[in-house]
Amino acid sequence: MIKFKLNGQYVSVDVPEDTPLLWVLRDELKLTGTKFSCGIGECGACTVHVGGQSTRSCITPVSSVIEAEVVTIEGLDPQGQHPVQEAWRDIQVPQCGYCQSGQIMQAACLLKTYPDPTDEQIDGVMAGNLCRCMTYLRIRKAIKQAAAAAREETPSHG
Amino acid sequence: MGKLERIAMQQDRADGLKATRRSFLLTSAGSAFLFGFARKASASQIYPIADGAPESGAFEPTIWSSVSPDGQININIIRAEMGQHVGTALARIMADEMEADWSKVQITQVDTDPKWGLMVTGGSWSVWMTWDLFRQVGAAARTVLLEEGAKLLGVSPAQCIARKGQIIAGNKSISYGDIVQKAHPTRTFTPEEMAKLPLKPVSKQSLIGKDVKALDIPAKTTGQAIYGIDATLEGMVYARPKLPPTRYGSRVLSVDESDAKKVKGYERYIVIEDPSDTVPGWVVVIASSYPAAIRATDALKVTWAPGKTASVSEQDIIDYGRKQIADKNGGVYVFNDPGTDKAFSSASKVFEQTYTCASVMHYTMEPMNALARLHDGKWEVHCGNQWQSLFLPVIAKALSVPEKEVVMCSYLLGGGFGRRLNGDYAVAAALISKALSGKAVKLILTRSDDMQFDSFRSPSVQTLRAALNDQKAVTSWQHHASAGWPTKVMAPAFMEKGVDGKPYDQFAIAGADNWYDVGPMQVRALSNDLAEATFRPGWLRSVSAGWTSWAYEAFMDELAHDAGKDPLEFRLEHLRATGRNAGSAPNAVGGAERQANVLRRLAEKCGYGKTNLPADTALGIATTFGQERNMPTWTAGAVQVHVDRKTGVVTCQKIWLVLDAGTIVDPDGAAAQTEGGALWGLSMALFESTKIVNGNPQAHNLDNYTPIRIADAPEIDIEFIKSTEKPTGLGEPGVTAIGAAIANAVFNAVGVRLRHQPIRPADVLAGLQAKTAG
Amino acid sequence: MKKRIFLAGIAGAGLLGGLGFLAYAWHPAIADITPPAASSFSAEQVERGRIVAAEGYCAECHTRTDLGGGPEFAGDYQMKTPFGAIYTSNITPDPQTGIGKWSEEAFRRAMHRGISRDGGNLIPAFPYDHFTKMTDQDISDLYAYMMTRPAVHLTHRPNELPFPLNIRLLQAGWKLLFFKQGVYQPDPTHDALWNRGAYLAEGVAHCGSCHTPRNLMGAEKSGSTYDGAVVDGWIAPPLNANNPTPTTWNEDELYAYLRNGVAPLHGSAGGPMSPVPHRFLSTVPEEDVHAIAHYFAFVDNAAVRAKHDKDALALAMNQSSVDLTHPVVDPDAKLYQGACAGCHYNSAPTPASGRPELALNNALWLDEPTNLYQAILRGFTAEEGQAGVVMPSFYNALSDKDMARLAAYLRRTRTTLPPWTDLEKKAAAARATVETIPVNSSH
Repeated sequence: MIKFKLNGQYVSVDVPEDTPLLWVLRDELKLTGTKFSCGIGECGACTVHVGGQSTRSCITPVSSVIEAEVVTIEGLDPQGQHPVQEAWRDIQVPQCGYCQSGQIMQAACLLKTYPDPTDEQIDGVMAGNLCRCMTYLRIRKAIKQAAAAAREETPSHG
Repeated sequence: MGKLERIAMQQDRADGLKATRRSFLLTSAGSAFLFGFARKASASQIYPIADGAPESGAFEPTIWSSVSPDGQININIIRAEMGQHVGTALARIMADEMEADWSKVQITQVDTDPKWGLMVTGGSWSVWMTWDLFRQVGAAARTVLLEEGAKLLGVSPAQCIARKGQIIAGNKSISYGDIVQKAHPTRTFTPEEMAKLPLKPVSKQSLIGKDVKALDIPAKTTGQAIYGIDATLEGMVYARPKLPPTRYGSRVLSVDESDAKKVKGYERYIVIEDPSDTVPGWVVVIASSYPAAIRATDALKVTWAPGKTASVSEQDIIDYGRKQIADKNGGVYVFNDPGTDKAFSSASKVFEQTYTCASVMHYTMEPMNALARLHDGKWEVHCGNQWQSLFLPVIAKALSVPEKEVVMCSYLLGGGFGRRLNGDYAVAAALISKALSGKAVKLILTRSDDMQFDSFRSPSVQTLRAALNDQKAVTSWQHHASAGWPTKVMAPAFMEKGVDGKPYDQFAIAGADNWYDVGPMQVRALSNDLAEATFRPGWLRSVSAGWTSWAYEAFMDELAHDAGKDPLEFRLEHLRATGRNAGSAPNAVGGAERQANVLRRLAEKCGYGKTNLPADTALGIATTFGQERNMPTWTAGAVQVHVDRKTGVVTCQKIWLVLDAGTIVDPDGAAAQTEGGALWGLSMALFESTKIVNGNPQAHNLDNYTPIRIADAPEIDIEFIKSTEKPTGLGEPGVTAIGAAIANAVFNAVGVRLRHQPIRPADVLAGLQAKTAG
Repeated sequence: MKKRIFLAGIAGAGLLGGLGFLAYAWHPAIADITPPAASSFSAEQVERGRIVAAEGYCAECHTRTDLGGGPEFAGDYQMKTPFGAIYTSNITPDPQTGIGKWSEEAFRRAMHRGISRDGGNLIPAFPYDHFTKMTDQDISDLYAYMMTRPAVHLTHRPNELPFPLNIRLLQAGWKLLFFKQGVYQPDPTHDALWNRGAYLAEGVAHCGSCHTPRNLMGAEKSGSTYDGAVVDGWIAPPLNANNPTPTTWNEDELYAYLRNGVAPLHGSAGGPMSPVPHRFLSTVPEEDVHAIAHYFAFVDNAAVRAKHDKDALALAMNQSSVDLTHPVVDPDAKLYQGACAGCHYNSAPTPASGRPELALNNALWLDEPTNLYQAILRGFTAEEGQAGVVMPSFYNALSDKDMARLAAYLRRTRTTLPPWTDLEKKAAAARATVETIPVNSSH
């Protein structure tokens, strides 16, 4: 049995150690918001957070996350109201939507590193997330809106 | 009659249907103002499970919509949702006419049933082909609700207005829900009656043209949206194909499963027998989990006798196309105006150029997959698909069962772009289930499987020729195009007839039938049968209009430069709304003048002619009519590029687009589609392509296939011309103007003319060198 | 720090021979004892011993990891050598299979002189060349700790060394040539912190075992101390001034790295180094880790080199975002964007936490792409590198050719050094060292 924390709760799964985390999430734990696409960690559709960092789950063996904290799109915010999610809806980012769980997870991680990101920082961190509908312009815009919203929510007292 | 309606009739004829599907669709919509259309309880779980079927007692005036006693309005959508928010746009059309309260509108993506008529989503047709029908359906519902509401309020209908889900008379009002609950309306209409119903004037439209939040988006931000790949059924097993060395004609000689058996979870392999010849030579691995299926497929050893195309290369296909074009015989004439030959034989000069485009992959983010089983005597295939009406019969044929025993259940598409017009993967899943006696089986292609098995955009060769007189004026025009024809391969009954009566693939030539007034024209489409034998050519976003424009819009610039004219002025001179190009109602009112109009507006916007750009930086323009002559979306695009003379790298710094697509139903959605289209155009022009090597696309994944990423996306400035004409389409026009505009801009920046797409740094460097040497 | 491949010193022994050598090589057995009761050791002494054991990473090499793992300290850990595997000893107080019958004197002799209780010479995979520097007090405390561990009855598998390497007597030849016995002597020219660091580093922590290159006989090369060496397919980088990273390993960086496994300006501990911080040095008094950091900041001459750090950092941060913030068509840059940039992108002025900056990482600056390849192929589990964070394994995601492209690209764009050579071949060689092959999600 392999044990890790998923969206705040410990889970145990009985799968071979080399099983990619992606398939454990999708097929064993029935969380299908995380998507399979390139299978080689180069498109970002399978992005989840491990220890708060964006991680490509399609090439992460589940044995790597033993005792680690994994968060998926389903657990990013209990009500689905993370500032990034709100901005994504407001700017109407998703088209087909298939890559967007990964985009949102990556963007949420970006904002932890760069709370007020420049275009360059957005392009750099989001470089690994492919969108075939080409929603890139809206992704940039939504990230900035989310950043502004997040700053309002947690005003700086400095 | 629109093209799609004609296509539907052709399909019905091909299927030998007596009561045609199309007429069934019309009569259903027109006369079924009755209760009692049994709704399938299994309406797909596209969105987080909504209310499913309407409550009993709902008013279901047509098969297209229902009103529940609580006022909830359900609208049934037969178009695939693949990012265009089509359900929202279509529902807006009906809800506007119905005077529905938008906050109470929900949409249902339906399963296949003959009653829906033609189920296809592509060609940017959805809004255009649903516009009239949904307005009429909405008007019919509104009429009934108004009449019944008036009765309940005790006033005459003339005293009532319908507004936001209510019938109002003075200070009295009643909601649609209450009307349904109390009155049980049963009025019926004939199609003729429905066609005569008064529609709201544009000025009274309250939803169309207004910004709206698309109904499919929230679920796509929380991981709740369900795509084909997310579908599950109790007890299902997983399958992955072991693909043969050639798309066609490979024969399995032997299979060795000794290593596959060592993989925990491996169950068995299946050599697929396919009477429909959709997936010939496939061997499939069955396993209890998908990772096990991946491993076991890698471990399974299969020996094939390969088909004849095992050594075909991209160059072979291009060379073959060149030969076809050089041969005066062959091909099908889309235009063959009298006087062409004479104009060319008497020309003082013939200006000729040849343009090529490389293979382009769909690379939908969701790889192909389908889940199939036999359940209650019906074969269910669960997947996202764009053309159920085409592939349901193929599935039936493959399974050797009547069509009525097959149902396709719809899911969200993780990208379509034309790939899922081809349902070959759905056929495979059904066959695998059959081999497992109807057990539920989920077929998933890994990315490399998906790319090898793609119906990618065929490489193409085009030669354009212009006859010029002494003043270098164009007196006649020829456009010859050779490519693999998707429609011929997958849907031959849907091919159009050329002027010579021979069938041709309109999706492998559209665009070449342009709106320029350049004297008598010949437009000849050539079916590259070497391409068609080697792979299954696919429809890819904007189909041929994405590559014919690459040729003729670059050619226009070349002609202008040759004549010493400004390319913008040169185009405007040839966009005259006369003769064939005068346009016609309802789809092309205004003709070439509307194309000239978007071009003029574009020139203003982008500062055409400005002289203050940095060195090796220039604008380029192109104009198209979107995807199809019968449904023109007037499009003009400009790009600003910089060319690095040292590295040969072309950087697109900005894109401008002006479009006239008639009425814009959903402005934000229209902009989204256009942005996506423009970046597809950019990606194909500068970033992505592959080539055929040994009968297969060379690219297998992102390590060697490089579509644009976020840092590559430049600023885009889009403007829609205000219009109340019938809406056309927006999924594809954005693509069409970009490639040629870039090629033209590169020429303007450094004087190098490139005629192969994509433009690679090496080509630019070679061009620069040749120029210096010359 | 573990699994150091060594050559047994048999060649040296062959040069000698004769009775004189035998006299040198022969040692008496030390009498058996009845295992002492756990209560005979004070809790304080056992705790001090725990720290010594952690600072010497004893559990790392004395605990089986293959065959599903084994009990801590019970030995049977497989060390691969070019001549065959050897298996480590059981150091729990089990009387039959462990060290239960060892007196403290026997234990001290083993630590200080590399001699087993029965008088046989120990194979120098056991780094007594370092442990000889330990004080009697530390060894006494360590003895107390070991003798109070649960006794585990486990016999290690027989060593697979062929004749004559398997003759323990002959190990004495190696000892004669290379072993210098003696407890650490403080250097009066340095302060107490420095001397504490040197004592730990040179003694119980046996840093040189991995970071100093070995001669043909498997002994640490004199004159090359801390020049860096290959361990388990990874490069243990130079710890002296030859360390090539652009910014200096100063005391703060070293402390952060040794304590938490992550140094902001250098990256995280991977491969065989990973357990050093995570399993061991995070559990010892922080003064000891400070002392080691202080000592190595001296060894690598940080005080002098640090004056270049500001410029080096600025340059690295500039190189860090090459090809990431504007349109790029270079296929190698595209590969880097897709596979790496999402996690490794940084923007000036300094790398962000959780985003190891490759332009600063020794993986790009060492003479060989070894560590880059190992990291790419194996990734990092949540236990390794930065705790709780994972790097996926690109074993199936990147072909040898892809890895070679990335390596060449990064060396070209993120360092100022000459290109690496034979990259594809080296990628294949690195790949061959990976034993557990993950499931391929693509091909």
